[in-house]
Amino acid sequence: MSAPAPCPVHETILRVRGEIESGRLAHPRSRRIAEEILDLLNDVAWGRAGQDHPGAIASLADELAADTEHPAAPGLARFLLDALSRQREVFQSHIETHNCASGDCVRLVPAPCQMACPAGIDVPTYVNLIALGRDAEAIEVIRRDNPFPWVCGLVCTRPCEFMCVRGRLDKPISIKFLKAFAAERALSERSYRNPPREADKGRRVAVIGAGPGGLTAAYYLALKGYGVTVFEELPMAGGMMMIGIPRYRLPREVIDREVAMLEDLGVRFRFGTRFGRDVDLETLKSRGYDAVFLAIGAHASFKLNIPGEADFPQVIEAIALLRRVALGDHRAPGKRVVVVGGGNVAIDAARTCLRLGCEEVTIAYRRSRADMPADVEEVEQAEEEGVRFSFLTIPKAVHGAASAVRGLECVRAKMVKKDDGPRLFPVPVEGSEFTIEADTVVSAIGQRIELECLRDLQGLSWSRRQTIQASAVTQETSLPGVFAGGDAVTGPATVVEAIGAGKRAAEAIDRWLSGIPQPTMPPVPVRRRRVDWIEVPASTKMTLRRPEMPLLNLERRRTTFQQVELGYPENAVREEARRCLRCDVCLRCGQCVAVCRDRMGIDALQFGFLSFDRPGPTDLRVTAERCILCGACAANCPNDAIRVVDRGGERLLSWCGTILNRERLERCEGCGAVLGPRRYLEYLQKRTAPVGPLLTGRLLCQACARRESARMHTDIAPV
Amino acid sequence: MAFHKGQKVEIYRRSADESWGPHMDEYIGRHGVITDPDTTKNDPDALIEVSIDGKGTHRFPQDCLRLIDA
Repeated sequence: MSAPAPCPVHETILRVRGEIESGRLAHPRSRRIAEEILDLLNDVAWGRAGQDHPGAIASLADELAADTEHPAAPGLARFLLDALSRQREVFQSHIETHNCASGDCVRLVPAPCQMACPAGIDVPTYVNLIALGRDAEAIEVIRRDNPFPWVCGLVCTRPCEFMCVRGRLDKPISIKFLKAFAAERALSERSYRNPPREADKGRRVAVIGAGPGGLTAAYYLALKGYGVTVFEELPMAGGMMMIGIPRYRLPREVIDREVAMLEDLGVRFRFGTRFGRDVDLETLKSRGYDAVFLAIGAHASFKLNIPGEADFPQVIEAIALLRRVALGDHRAPGKRVVVVGGGNVAIDAARTCLRLGCEEVTIAYRRSRADMPADVEEVEQAEEEGVRFSFLTIPKAVHGAASAVRGLECVRAKMVKKDDGPRLFPVPVEGSEFTIEADTVVSAIGQRIELECLRDLQGLSWSRRQTIQASAVTQETSLPGVFAGGDAVTGPATVVEAIGAGKRAAEAIDRWLSGIPQPTMPPVPVRRRRVDWIEVPASTKMTLRRPEMPLLNLERRRTTFQQVELGYPENAVREEARRCLRCDVCLRCGQCVAVCRDRMGIDALQFGFLSFDRPGPTDLRVTAERCILCGACAANCPNDAIRVVDRGGERLLSWCGTILNRERLERCEGCGAVLGPRRYLEYLQKRTAPVGPLLTGRLLCQACARRESARMHTDIAPV
Repeated sequence: MAFHKGQKVEIYRRSADESWGPHMDEYIGRHGVITDPDTTKNDPDALIEVSIDGKGTHRFPQDCLRLIDA
């Protein structure tokens, strides 16, 4: 494993601290300046620095350089000025994002869920705002990084949940559905609002494609004060969200309401306008657009390439089917339908066919069930609704007569290894041909981008996968002022990835138009707020369970396009949000566990979730059985995630708000001073027993014990 | 090896694929979870999405990934 790059801010702190401690800064004035620099650097590393901090550090470094009597001072000054110059981006990122991606600045380590989100949403903050019932504030936090919280609350592939630390304990927080709830609630309460727009910059940007990537770029550019026009071939906004995702997963109103927020910001739409046909790069430039963002998606399909495919109008592409249904054509494509493919689009096409009234829908997939790339939940729901599956089935030819399909000839497959590699490939079994009777064949074996509309763009570079070549950091293409993102760059990918690309593109376009240098590293997610944690007893934290999603009844799922997932009730949402472990505060460094187990010999913290690769058992309730409330864990926590407080006559140990232990405080029988909980006193007594008895049957503080001891001594040996 | 959603993987080497950017070198040796495999046709050439522990979510060519024990 290559050594991870250390954080330049952290490295600079270590160097300055080292110089101070070494005594090499002999002049008192130099030492004072170095200490002031260290204070400012710590501000940066703790997320409390302002924009003036780098300048102030540089100014102090200049003063330090003036101490020419001792070479250590100018040496340190040169190091500081060099670090500020070469690592300006990193220092600025710490100040602006309040996150340190390397994890060295412990106060600024982002939570795994936030780091996992391709849009970089501050998940812990909004989840905890939802727990507190502050839904509108949660939506405000989400929309700083993603203008489509409701859409993503219903269809996101939720990488955040895969990285959720709670998932190492039982099940991840249901982050996606919490977001959908908050968005729906905020919209219904009219508290879902746009942030204020910056003053008009007098520059214009053209966005090609009204999918998630294009719309996101349009939103953030409009907020920055640019005049944005979105050119879209379809008659409505949404792109693949609108025509690729069926309405039973994502109702049209959800997209329309969130797109309307863009129109409120002044984003203009030109529907029915195809790039390369109705408008091109030169036209846009001549109309005064200063930059262009290409987000045309991947709307073309791969062919089956089997005999008969081109001979019958009933052989259709899944994307085309989903598109026409989304546009309002609800005629069934046939009575007996075979869908070829094993991905999410195949599942969507099959479930759509059922809802259109097709009597028999079969998915033919050439690999086994375990190899299906579609989401498991989608496959299960399709089966519940009556979709049939034919696995290890390779389509061979489409048969029919008189322009009508009669069936799909297939051959059985077996999975074999090729070239000694680990990957299994489906290979036809000789003589195993069979026919699936069908009057419609739907091909769902993948999408690609439509190259035709971009053919005239001279100088645009392409990847070998026939996608637009663009920087993963800035979305810049080979053409100056032309940026690209979404499926057109990545190939068919996810909504949230396209949103992330749109946000990066908006930032890069703003820099390009402002003449600011582009970043060289991907952006670090921004911590939007610091929300206090919520106190929850350990037993509650452990026993709260992720709720099951209520589903529409099967009859309606087979016959209508009503939304299948009905959403959580409010009480379930608030409870679910309280399961959050607050990984934005606890870094999972394990110092608390180590000190409790190895130094104190107690081993009261069963935090099996600390390890990503091999999580062990976790039980937060165990602490109350073993903990002596000594506070060693809290004293060694670098981020104050563990705290010990005396409150209401008790000593409480809490970890990110979860009360791990509480014990009644004992008081001195002599003066009433707090001594600590009995378990802690017993522990001390045990440890000091070889030296001499600490307690003599009475609970006394040191001062009273000394007085008592002196009196006893006087009684025994009177002066 | 077809990768599936939820599997733990290691970025065990640099890829010669054109999609590998210079900033990705620091991901070598890191562990993560497959969050969006090729959901269409199990194409070994497809870029698949991996969430790396502490390093964000990115698309990788499959030749730089290997499964690790759960």
